[in-house]
Amino acid sequence: MIKTPDLIASLAENATPVRRLRPPVVRAACWLLLAAVVLTLLAVNQGLRPDLVQRLSEPAFAVSMTASLLTGVLAAVAAFLVSLPDRSRLWLLQPLPALVAWLANVGYQCLVQWVAIGPDGISLGEAARCFATLVLTSLPLSLAMLVMLRYAAPLRPTAATFMGSLAVAAITATALSLFHTIDATAMILMWNFGTAVLFVGLAGVFGRRMFRWVAPRTFYARD
Amino acid sequence: MTHDPSGRGPSLRLVGKEDSSSTYGRAPVNRDVDWSILMARAQEGDRAAYHRLLQEIAPYLRSLAARRHRDHSDVEDVVQDVLLTVHSIRQTYDPTRPFAPWLVAIANRRFIDRLRRQGRRRDREIPLTAEHETFCEPQANLEESPDRRELEGAINDLPPAQQRAVRLLKLKEMSLKEAATVSGMTIASLKVNVHRALKNLRKMLVDRSEP
Repeated sequence: MIKTPDLIASLAENATPVRRLRPPVVRAACWLLLAAVVLTLLAVNQGLRPDLVQRLSEPAFAVSMTASLLTGVLAAVAAFLVSLPDRSRLWLLQPLPALVAWLANVGYQCLVQWVAIGPDGISLGEAARCFATLVLTSLPLSLAMLVMLRYAAPLRPTAATFMGSLAVAAITATALSLFHTIDATAMILMWNFGTAVLFVGLAGVFGRRMFRWVAPRTFYARD
Repeated sequence: MTHDPSGRGPSLRLVGKEDSSSTYGRAPVNRDVDWSILMARAQEGDRAAYHRLLQEIAPYLRSLAARRHRDHSDVEDVVQDVLLTVHSIRQTYDPTRPFAPWLVAIANRRFIDRLRRQGRRRDREIPLTAEHETFCEPQANLEESPDRRELEGAINDLPPAQQRAVRLLKLKEMSLKEAATVSGMTIASLKVNVHRALKNLRKMLVDRSEP
């Protein structure tokens, strides 16, 4: 085992100048800007759903959209705050109200106007396109989030991945309801809730491994 | 800065040999400001400042670690862990905020990680005791007396000359000369007899072990 004074000397020897991280809110804003760019590109490429304006005037749809977007924004901010060592863990609760509103709304819609999936309710083509949107939105956002949160790896990996994946999931769900006519409530439930579960689950399984991959090297070299 | 203007300070201060012990005497607020400045300079690449900062926080971390870990080597290990973590994520420190909470948060994560790892190891592994050492020895595990009885039986089945030769030379481990004087046989006949005896024994024992 190396002696502590020797370790200190060698660390001091390696003290290259580092760039301080920007404030967490600014970093969250950068990430959200990336999200906005991705969504815009998708909108240009795929086109918005034809009945968007009409649907936005429906309170249920508007509330659901707003809540999922808000969840994404708040979860992103919370993720960047929690990734710093000296911020309170209680920031994890920040996206909770929006999350509850979003999921409650989806669940409520499901309950009141259950629409059986008819022959034309769900089509393979639409599902495939939904899936394309899902991948195209979530992949760049997840990778960006992962790299931006890499300093959280030695600190609170679980909390940070959870918040990060919640942000990605919420933004992706918003994108899905922007671009696709998923009116059958089962579909809404599946795409909204399914996305959330999918990302949080994936983060739970692969989060730590991925973090190890991008994490600062010095720490894991010893394990 | 290290001198307390009230004049009462020095008499209360703990006596220590190293310079770093004077950090304990400082008021925590001053110390924190010092550390903040040092860390800010370290982030800009000032090696001397960084070296001083690490030297000053090491005893502080040690005292924190001593509350959670009893073993001295554990304390030292975990202090090194914290120092490495501090090094790898020094980007995340914001000089406008106090230094100590940042440091303590990192330290606590490492302490808890280590305690958890130890807990897992305790659940999974059993330390070796003297008894386990004993069982590692083949003699402790193998029951040899049936083998011995079988060998005795086989020797009894041999012709008398071969029996005597094998008993004297192999079981009593005599030299050829001693065996010759004890038995009255010549060295040449002892050699021949023991050779034949071993050959017979090998045949008998192999035959017996094969079903």
